[in-house]
Amino acid sequence: MSDDLYTQLLDLACGAFLLAAVMVLWRRELAAIVRVFALQGVALAAIAVLLGAHEERWDMVGVGIGIGVLRAGVLPHLMRRALAALTEDRRGYGDGGAESRETQPLVNVAASLLTAALLTLLAYAVARPLTELNPTPATRALPVGLAVVLIGFFVLVTRRRALAQVVGFLLLDNGITATAFLATSGVPLIVELGVSFDVLLAVLVLQVLTARVREAFGTTDIDDLRELHD
Amino acid sequence: MSAIPAALATATGLGGAGALAGVVLPYRLRVPVVGALTAGVGVSGCGAGVAALGGGSWAATFPGVLPLAGTYLAVDALAGLFMAVAGAVVAAVAVYGIGYATGHGAHGLGSRTAQTALPLFALTLVLVPVAASVSTFLVLWELMALASLLLVLAEHAERASVRLAGVWYAVMTHLGLVLLLAGFALFAADAGGESFAALRAGASAVSPTVRGLVFVLTALAFTSKAGAVPLHAWLPRAHPEAPSPVSALMSAAMVNLGIYGLVRTGLDLLGGGPAWWWLGLMAMGGVSAVYGILQAAMTSDLKRLLAYSTSENMGLVLIGVGASGLFAAYGDRLLAALALAAGLLHVVNHAAFKALLFCAAGSVLRATGVRDLDRLGGLRARMPATAGLFAFAALGAVALPPGNGFISEWLLLQSLIHGLQVPGVAVAVVLPLSVALIALSAGIAAAAFVKALGVGFFARPRSEEAAGAKEAPALMLVGMALLGAACAALALVPGLLGDGLDRAVAAVGLPGGGAVSGGALKVRIADLSASLAPLWVVAALTAALMLAIGLPRLYGRRRRRTNARLWDCGGGAPTPRMAYTATSFAEPLQRVFDDVLAPEQDVDVTPVRESAYLVERVRFQRRVPDRIEHRLYEPLLRTIAGTGQAARRLAGGSVHLYLGYGFFGLVVLLLILAVGW
Amino acid sequence: MSAVGYTSVAGQVLVVGGGAPLLTGWMRQIRARLEGRAGAGVLQPWRDLRKLLRKEPITPVGTGPAFRAAPALLVATTVVAAALVPLLSTDTPVRGHADLVLVVALIALGTMALALAGLDTGTAFGGMGASREMTVAALVEPTILLSVFALSIPAGTTNIPAIVSGAVHEPARLTSPAGLLATAALAVAVLAETGRIPVDNPSTHLELTMIHEAMVLEYAGPDLALVELGAQMRLTLLLGLLSSLFVPWGIATSASWTALAVALVLLAAKLCLLGAVLAAAEVFWAKVRLFRVPELIAGSFLLALLAVTASYFLSGAS
Repeated sequence: MSDDLYTQLLDLACGAFLLAAVMVLWRRELAAIVRVFALQGVALAAIAVLLGAHEERWDMVGVGIGIGVLRAGVLPHLMRRALAALTEDRRGYGDGGAESRETQPLVNVAASLLTAALLTLLAYAVARPLTELNPTPATRALPVGLAVVLIGFFVLVTRRRALAQVVGFLLLDNGITATAFLATSGVPLIVELGVSFDVLLAVLVLQVLTARVREAFGTTDIDDLRELHD
Repeated sequence: MSAIPAALATATGLGGAGALAGVVLPYRLRVPVVGALTAGVGVSGCGAGVAALGGGSWAATFPGVLPLAGTYLAVDALAGLFMAVAGAVVAAVAVYGIGYATGHGAHGLGSRTAQTALPLFALTLVLVPVAASVSTFLVLWELMALASLLLVLAEHAERASVRLAGVWYAVMTHLGLVLLLAGFALFAADAGGESFAALRAGASAVSPTVRGLVFVLTALAFTSKAGAVPLHAWLPRAHPEAPSPVSALMSAAMVNLGIYGLVRTGLDLLGGGPAWWWLGLMAMGGVSAVYGILQAAMTSDLKRLLAYSTSENMGLVLIGVGASGLFAAYGDRLLAALALAAGLLHVVNHAAFKALLFCAAGSVLRATGVRDLDRLGGLRARMPATAGLFAFAALGAVALPPGNGFISEWLLLQSLIHGLQVPGVAVAVVLPLSVALIALSAGIAAAAFVKALGVGFFARPRSEEAAGAKEAPALMLVGMALLGAACAALALVPGLLGDGLDRAVAAVGLPGGGAVSGGALKVRIADLSASLAPLWVVAALTAALMLAIGLPRLYGRRRRRTNARLWDCGGGAPTPRMAYTATSFAEPLQRVFDDVLAPEQDVDVTPVRESAYLVERVRFQRRVPDRIEHRLYEPLLRTIAGTGQAARRLAGGSVHLYLGYGFFGLVVLLLILAVGW
Repeated sequence: MSAVGYTSVAGQVLVVGGGAPLLTGWMRQIRARLEGRAGAGVLQPWRDLRKLLRKEPITPVGTGPAFRAAPALLVATTVVAAALVPLLSTDTPVRGHADLVLVVALIALGTMALALAGLDTGTAFGGMGASREMTVAALVEPTILLSVFALSIPAGTTNIPAIVSGAVHEPARLTSPAGLLATAALAVAVLAETGRIPVDNPSTHLELTMIHEAMVLEYAGPDLALVELGAQMRLTLLLGLLSSLFVPWGIATSASWTALAVALVLLAAKLCLLGAVLAAAEVFWAKVRLFRVPELIAGSFLLALLAVTASYFLSGAS
């Protein structure tokens, strides 16, 4: 494909990637957050496929498709199941809707969005010397990956619901993967496989843990876990 | 030349085999086999050391053994001296240890952990002087510390105090490691290389401030390992609680490595330094000598007494090393060689008599189960060999002729007395004070060992355990006899060591002055007229003794000796309870040094319930605490604990907080990076 | 050299060994006369020794080899020290071995042997005496060694014949402030080592005031004779050492019979003089309390320290 088209498509994919992260910060319903996360998975897969196609590396295209399947398909499916399990036993009491909403986050939405903007600026500042080393369209999009890492971490810190935190953790990992692809045109296959497997396992474990927490405490609001200190 | 690597390889092989045997073999085979292999390690280490003292040397590099840095090994006469001492002590104590651990069951010293750690400990004792680069040295140093920690904790199931002793030991030895790491890293960074050869070559290029800092850091670490005040607190805790063979190894071989490190770094690698370094070292040594022996004179725990005595003797060696550096700093290299030779000779003598003392104390402990002198007594009749060997070693420890301690102390005094020819007011003040401190420590040492010997072994037993004591088994006696033979050889023919000592001193760049020379008989100071002939002294004393014994027989009428009662003031036979105990023996000395020791006294009067004027029970308790611990360590520990408590508020319990710490850290780091670039 | 040298060594031992009871008798007689008593006569200690030697040897039940060996060891160390110290002549075959530190150490060895014997009895008095004796001995060590240091500075060595012959040839050393201070310090140290007033009363009968006597309370018969002889020999030796170091004129510096005879006569005279002075002083002094003794010894330590520093600074910091 021509360079121009490639650059435009890449920028589009990266933009969608970043936008998805910001949407996670903005939306409050857990179901919506999971949908947005799936979208981000598609964007990440697009980035990988585009890069692979441009450099004519078909293993990278394969990896991109695999990532797409995992992060846009499998993981959101698991999370939807967890969400359904959470809301189901509440349906009998008539407040099934409460669980699917995030309670007031630690930092309100306006401030979160502002912070996301600042974090993006920081990502640009940090990535500038790296970009200058080798100015290609891929490396120019590097700050996006870093910004998503920071935003994912921020989500992890400020959400109260366990499931939202899981999403934040997965955003973090998406951002790292994107940075890896953009900066170094991918990591070795085996590393990618290992990381994906880890992430999968983490989500499974967290799913079980969330269910257990809900059984034990009746809620997955982690602020109630404050008793765990000496 | 090839004897040294062969011996070292043998030692390493035997050490590894010993560790393996300790893990694999069942109890009945384990103790003798491991003991024999450890003795083999000792013998080969000693052989390598003797070969180095005889003029051999060796160096080798193994790039693959340690990752990143490679292993550098080098043996010269100084390393050879310490290897020989460590090896000899290990060999004798290993034999003793077989007898000690046999029959005691598969716990304590006979357990798998302890028997595995023992050959490794012995191997590291022999190998530390061989290290010739910073990383090799530190790795071996740490292995030595870990192995000895395992051994100190060997009897943790039997006494609770062992665990506390282990904690103190672990913390302080790792504090020393941190200081060493910092000092050596600083040195290597500035000198441009981490092998000792590179450090030696690059030392002159390092700025004086950095050199001073390096010396202070490494000196603190090494003097802490040697047990010098103020970083001595682990010694009187760890040595009594460890099993006696381990105490002997630690006191007679491990503390020497602190001295080795100090001499190697200060005199060899750094190439000497300004006078304030050595004055500080001498001050530390003097304070250690007096404080250590004072605490030894006060305590009634036999092994604690011996541990504090180690502190004292290391203080004396530090005075010698400090004097050597001081004289070298002022340019009098011959006198510096003499002072260093005196210090090194004292290291050798101390190793011999201290190992024997600890072995004898271990024999007593094994036979009676009691360490407290106030409950011992009468052991000369029940354990004559142990008592005799203890007395012989104590003669060396009090530095009186014809013991071996006297010779090195004499040499040290000579070097200090002749040191006034070195110019400088500081020298003129420090030297008489050092002589006075050495004399005071020698006097108090005499009191301490008269107490240990007289109260512990003579008169009658003060408790049932002491009354039921039996002599130690044969292997223990063999080990002790080997050490006794070494003490006797050092006392009678110190000249055997003469050439080796000169070469060891020459290895740090000071000219070997031929101090201990003149055949195998005399100690003569070349260039200065003073000499001491130990053999002559012994011969003269024997002749005079014959005279003194024979004279009354000539003059008096020949009658048989009869027994009579002790003078009891007419009140009935004296009971053992009436005899002076160790505490009462030390009381006048304690009163004299009341300000220094600050004993704590507690009188508790319980009156009868019905009337406050009738006393039911009175309880009296007196403790002589370690004042330096009180004043220096306790405030420090309180501050650290307080800081820890304050830091607990950082752990609020909120998961958001914990995650927030990480996020905040990441953002700050990135900000710094962004700004910095 | 050989014959005269050996004779002088033998002579020293005989003077110290045989003359010690005479010196003690002389001192007791002086003291008696000053106190207005008739006294027992100069030869009384000899008679006492003879009486004791003829008595039955006794071993108290419960004592051991240390108790048995201590008297002989005490006498032996004093004999060796007497052979080494140049009382009569500096030109003896043992002059290479006559180190001042060695002599001090031999005397300390004798003290230690006796203290161990005291503990070996297992009685309270023995322990008490041993404890007090070792405390005093420990405190006196720094003074003695510093005095040794002070004396060795002008001579450049700790070899006693060298110090003595140096003093003979250069009398100015002894009248210098360093010399006088060292004399005073060493005199106090000698009083402490030999257990004379004001540190210890050798003729006390109250056990609680004893230091030396309490250690040897259990000895009787020939053992007691050796102990008494040993104590008297130590006094003679130490007074002789003082006189050799500070009044060295008369000591033979060459190997000749006339010099030796002169030295013998002069030694006897010096010892009698020193003994008389000490005995007279003891009439006017009282024994100090045990816990005031450290103050006394600290004072002598200060004198010795001043002697060293004065010696250093006045010799021009060479």
